[in-house]
Amino acid sequence: MTLLAERPSTGTRHPLRPELQRGFAPWAGGAVLLTLTVAVAVPAETWQGGWAETRDQMHTAATLLGIPMALAAGCWQGGRERRRRTGELMETSVRGSLPRFLASALPVAVWVAVGHLAAAALALLATWYCATGDSPYLVVPLVDTLVLACAALAGVVVGRVLPWRLAAPLLAMGAYVVLGVLSYDSRNALAHLSPLLDTSANRVPVWWQPIVTATWVGGLAIAAVLAHAAHRRATALLPLAAAAAAGALLVQTGDGLTHTDPIARRQVCDTSTTPQICVSARYEKLLPQVTQALSGLTGRLEGVENLPVRFEDRPGGSRPDEVQLPMIKPFGSSVVRGRLTDPEQYAWEAGMMLIGRAWCDRTDPAVGRTDAAVEHYLAPSPAEAYFDERDAKGSKADREELKARQQARARLLAMDEEERRTWLSEYFATAEECDPSGVPTL
Amino acid sequence: MRPERGADPVTTAGPVLYARSRALPQTITALAVTTLLAIWAAHALDSYLDPDRQVPVVALAPLFASAVIGTSLHTASDELDRTAVRPWWRRRLLHLLTLTALATALLPLAVLTSTQTFGPPAMIRNVLGCTGLTAAAAVVLGARLSWLPVFGYVSAMYLGIAGLRGGALPAWAWLLEPRTGGTAWTTAATLFLLGGTAYVIRGARPTP
Repeated sequence: MTLLAERPSTGTRHPLRPELQRGFAPWAGGAVLLTLTVAVAVPAETWQGGWAETRDQMHTAATLLGIPMALAAGCWQGGRERRRRTGELMETSVRGSLPRFLASALPVAVWVAVGHLAAAALALLATWYCATGDSPYLVVPLVDTLVLACAALAGVVVGRVLPWRLAAPLLAMGAYVVLGVLSYDSRNALAHLSPLLDTSANRVPVWWQPIVTATWVGGLAIAAVLAHAAHRRATALLPLAAAAAAGALLVQTGDGLTHTDPIARRQVCDTSTTPQICVSARYEKLLPQVTQALSGLTGRLEGVENLPVRFEDRPGGSRPDEVQLPMIKPFGSSVVRGRLTDPEQYAWEAGMMLIGRAWCDRTDPAVGRTDAAVEHYLAPSPAEAYFDERDAKGSKADREELKARQQARARLLAMDEEERRTWLSEYFATAEECDPSGVPTL
Repeated sequence: MRPERGADPVTTAGPVLYARSRALPQTITALAVTTLLAIWAAHALDSYLDPDRQVPVVALAPLFASAVIGTSLHTASDELDRTAVRPWWRRRLLHLLTLTALATALLPLAVLTSTQTFGPPAMIRNVLGCTGLTAAAAVVLGARLSWLPVFGYVSAMYLGIAGLRGGALPAWAWLLEPRTGGTAWTTAATLFLLGGTAYVIRGARPTP
C-alpha cells in the first residue's frame, strides 16, 4: 500500500530529466568541453589577454573541432535505439515520433551546448584577469553554442537514418573535410556559408550576421529534424526556405559580413614624452608598461628636435611625421598574458624604428657606426654584448671594427648634454637618408 | 551465420566465421578506401609545396583508420564468446596485429613523396599511437564508441598545436612531431603496446 502511494511522486518527472542526467549526453558535453579547452589552452600565449583574440581562437576551435564533434555525438545518440534494439518498443509509445525524437536528441544538443559554453566561459575568464583593454565579445560564442546544438540535432537525424557502425566517425571526418575545404580558399563564394567567420582581430561581424548565420544553420537542422520525425513532413519546407534565404544572403554579402572594429582605429596616447607614445585602444592597459619600457629612450630624447611626433599603433601605414610602435600583436612574442616579455628588447626595437636606414641598399661604414652608436646610446640591444664579445675574439678586421664602434659610442657619451642634444637633432634630421654626405658621423 | 545442414564445410570454419562476425571484409574495404582518400587528399592539398599542408592527412587518416580498426573489435555475441573453451587472446592479438599491419602498410602510400618531415615514418607512428588509444578505449568504453577519445585527442592537437610550432614538441604532442625518432616514437609505441595488451587480455567491454 505504501509503495503504491509513493509511486505517483516519481511519475511527475519530466521524461527529459533522466536522459539529461544519465547516458551518453553528459559524456558528449564533457568531451566537447575537454577537446575545446585543450585546443585553446595549448596556444594560450597567442590569445590570452586580448578579447578579440580570445573570441577568434574560441570561434575557430568551436567551428573546426566542435561541429564535427557535435555531429559525431548526435550521430552516436541517433543509433542508440538500433544498438539496444529498443526501436520497436519505442514505436509502441503513445507519444508521436517528434516528441520521441526530441526526448533522445535534445539532451545531447543541450549537453554539447553546455560543454561549449563552459569552454568559452573558461577562455573568457582566462583573458579577464590579464585583459589589455577593449571589452568581451559575447555574441560570437553564443551563436557558436547555437550552431553546435544544431549540429548535434542534425547528427541525431543522420544516426537514425544511417545504420552503420562507422557512421559517427565518418560524419565527423566529412565535416572536417567540408569545413576545411570551405575555409581553405576564402575567395570561394561558398566559403561564406561556412559558420567559420574568417576575421582578423581588428574586424567585427556586422550586427545582423549572427541572426542570419543562426537562421542558416538552425533552418537546416530544424528542416532535417522535421523531415525525419514530424507528423507532417511538409512542414520541413518552411525552415528550409528560411535557411535558403539566409544562405543566399550570406553568399551575396560576401566580405561585407565583417567591418573594421571602430576601437581598433582609436589610439590612446601618452603625450608627456618625446616622441609621444600611442597604443591601440584595444590594448590601452599596456600603455603604462610600454611607456615604462621606453622611458629610458624617451628620457634621452627629451629636447631633441627633428624626431617623429609619436609612435603610432594603428592598422595600416604610418603618417609622415609618425613612426610605428614595435609590434604588440600577434600576442605570444612581445606581449604574453598582458605583460611585455622583454622590455629591454622592446625599447631597442623602438629605437631601431627611429633610425630609418634599414631600407637603404648599402650603408656607408662610418654612417653604420654612427647609427650603431646612437642605437647603443638610446637603448642598447640585449644581444649587443654577445656580438662585442664575438668580435673581440674574432679576426683582426673584426677587432678593429669593434674598436671603431666602441670609439664612436664613447664620443657620443663624452659630449655634454646640450652638445649631444644639438648633435642628435642634426642626426635625426637625416635619419632616413641613404646618401651618407649629409649625415653627421662620430 | 547459422550453419545449415549440408552447407559447405568451409563456411563454418572458425576463422571465416570469426572474420564475418567481426565484419572484417568491410573493415578491410574501409581501410583501403581510407588509403585512397588519403592519397587523393595529399595530392589535392599540393602537399609537396609545404610540409605543414600534410598535417591534415598525417593526422586524420590514422584517426579514421584507427576508428575503423576499433569498431571492428566489436562482437555481437560477447557473452556467448566468453563461454568458449579456447583462449581468446590469440585471436584478439592476431586480429589487432593484422589490421594494424595492414593500415601501417597502406597509409604511408599517401605520403611517399615527402620523406623529410611528415613522411611514411610519421604516418606509421601515428597509426600505431592512434590504434593503441582506440584499443584501450575499446576496453574501457566498448568497441563501438572506441573512436571517441582518439577523436578528441586528434581534434585538440590539430588546432592547438599551431601555438607550439618550432622547437621540439612535448611528449604528449607525439601526433604532430615533424622529426622522426625520439620521444614521439617512444610515446606512440608505448601507447600501442599498452592499449594492445589491455585489449588482448581483457577484450572489448561488452556494450548493448
